Amino acid sequence: MRAAQTLAESFPDLSGIPVAREPHWFRWFSAALIVLALAAIARAFAGGQIEWSYVSRFLTAKVILEGIVNTMVMAVLAMALGIVLGIVVAIMRLSPNPVLKSVAAGYTWLFRGTPLILQLLLWFNLALVFPTIGIPGLWTARAVDVMTPFLAALLGLGINQGAYTSEVMRAGMLSVDIGQYEAAQAIGMGRLRALRRIILPQAMRVVIPPLGNEFIGMVKATSLASVIQYPEVLHNAENIYYANSRVIELLIVAGLWYLLVVSILTPLQMLLERRFARGTMQFAR
Amino acid sequence: MTRLSHFLAFAALAASAPAQAAELPAEIKQAGTLRLTVNSTYAPMEYRDPATNELVGLDIDLANELAKRLGGLKIVWSETPFAELIPSLQTKRADLIISGISDRASRRETADFVDYLTTGPQFFVMAESEAKAATDLCGKKVGTIRSTSFPVEIEKWSKQNCEAAGKPAIQYVPGENSIDVRNQLKQGRIDAAVQGSETLPYAQQQEAGKYRVVGEPFAKGYQGIMFRKDDAALREVVTEKLTAMIADGSYKAILDKWGLGANAVAEPLMNAAPQ
Repeated sequence: MRAAQTLAESFPDLSGIPVAREPHWFRWFSAALIVLALAAIARAFAGGQIEWSYVSRFLTAKVILEGIVNTMVMAVLAMALGIVLGIVVAIMRLSPNPVLKSVAAGYTWLFRGTPLILQLLLWFNLALVFPTIGIPGLWTARAVDVMTPFLAALLGLGINQGAYTSEVMRAGMLSVDIGQYEAAQAIGMGRLRALRRIILPQAMRVVIPPLGNEFIGMVKATSLASVIQYPEVLHNAENIYYANSRVIELLIVAGLWYLLVVSILTPLQMLLERRFARGTMQFAR
Repeated sequence: MTRLSHFLAFAALAASAPAQAAELPAEIKQAGTLRLTVNSTYAPMEYRDPATNELVGLDIDLANELAKRLGGLKIVWSETPFAELIPSLQTKRADLIISGISDRASRRETADFVDYLTTGPQFFVMAESEAKAATDLCGKKVGTIRSTSFPVEIEKWSKQNCEAAGKPAIQYVPGENSIDVRNQLKQGRIDAAVQGSETLPYAQQQEAGKYRVVGEPFAKGYQGIMFRKDDAALREVVTEKLTAMIADGSYKAILDKWGLGANAVAEPLMNAAPQ
């Protein structure tokens, strides 16, 4: 005790001296470089072969607004289809039944194994294989009347998304501790009821960040449906520049809308995450 | 300006040419290369031969002959979607564009055209269709390539020939390229289709007996070689070579090779399409 006192006394009292801030020269220097580079890029865009009046005029043009609405409708519906398929396929994949298991694996293999644009073109041209579709004796229709650009895009995007989402869902379900399954079984719950009441609610917490990621991807993937004439925002922007040759201006218009939508979706995802993390808030910060 | 005055201006230009033969721009001469961008989805104007994957077509042959006559320039080819042809010219990715593109007033804001082939949008249907005359298509679904001038021309024709006669208007259905449009026709998504008259003989030869044209091309126009507005030197020297090719029959030989001898022009015309 005495030794400690001596030690403390042998040091000068520094408590009143202000602490100098580190100058962080490199931070200042790199930030300045970035600002300069951004200014140079902005200047190039301002002075390039871009008629900015076209950007502002078409940013709120009716056909562009309709396009962004169609983009969002398709993204939401295709994602909903993808999530439903994803949950079903993930449950099948983890089931003890070998038939369900292999059907699920086959589905994921097929729809993850081919490019999305190829699948969209196949759905759109399906009438070359099946000229009419329906239930024999009850109802038939020409395939092209059923397989509109809207439906072809929805099936193409949604079924493809389902293959990816099933893996996200499977990861979520595997993340729930095995004890939870055993406990549900011990109190006499059936497999499906345990999934619905115990496993999936806990899996949701894990799957929301990757699902939000996938949804943002989906918003932009809808642009591929432009090749099968679904009038989403890129398709409509293209139609305008096909007529007036203002390519870069209309691409900027479409780009700004995508950025706006994604900027809104990001905080929405955080709200959703917080809701599903209610039970485990301390880990979700 | 009327077409006649266009022609006179052009004739005057052509007449003065021999006095001071047009010179290739120094930049191109020095490089020894001509950079050309095509959209290779428009047989027989330009497409990739399925057997060899080589770029072939009427435009390709014309360009090769022109390059030879411009002092043996080597052509560096690149490809792009149809709608990106004009930007390719503006951004100087291409020195000129010869890619089945129609001379249109709206496109002359950004470029000058030297017209070298007559063309016109042409209705066609599946061989078994009931449509006999073009007016039978009023109220029907007609598809065409959305990146071209054809949608506007269909609408205009429909106003004059369907709506003016009290018939329902043609319903335009967009397509991505000529193959996509023909696929939509085969599936019955559309009742008739439109593409440039210069491409139909080839399509009919590929799928013999499948399609039937309805009526005549419904608007007269020209395919043009496209130049930047500020690139008069290149435009003049190419026009001079093209005039010579018409005179010595090599132009006609190329058109005949692709079955399009009937679409020949008597001489190159500048910005001459009526619309």
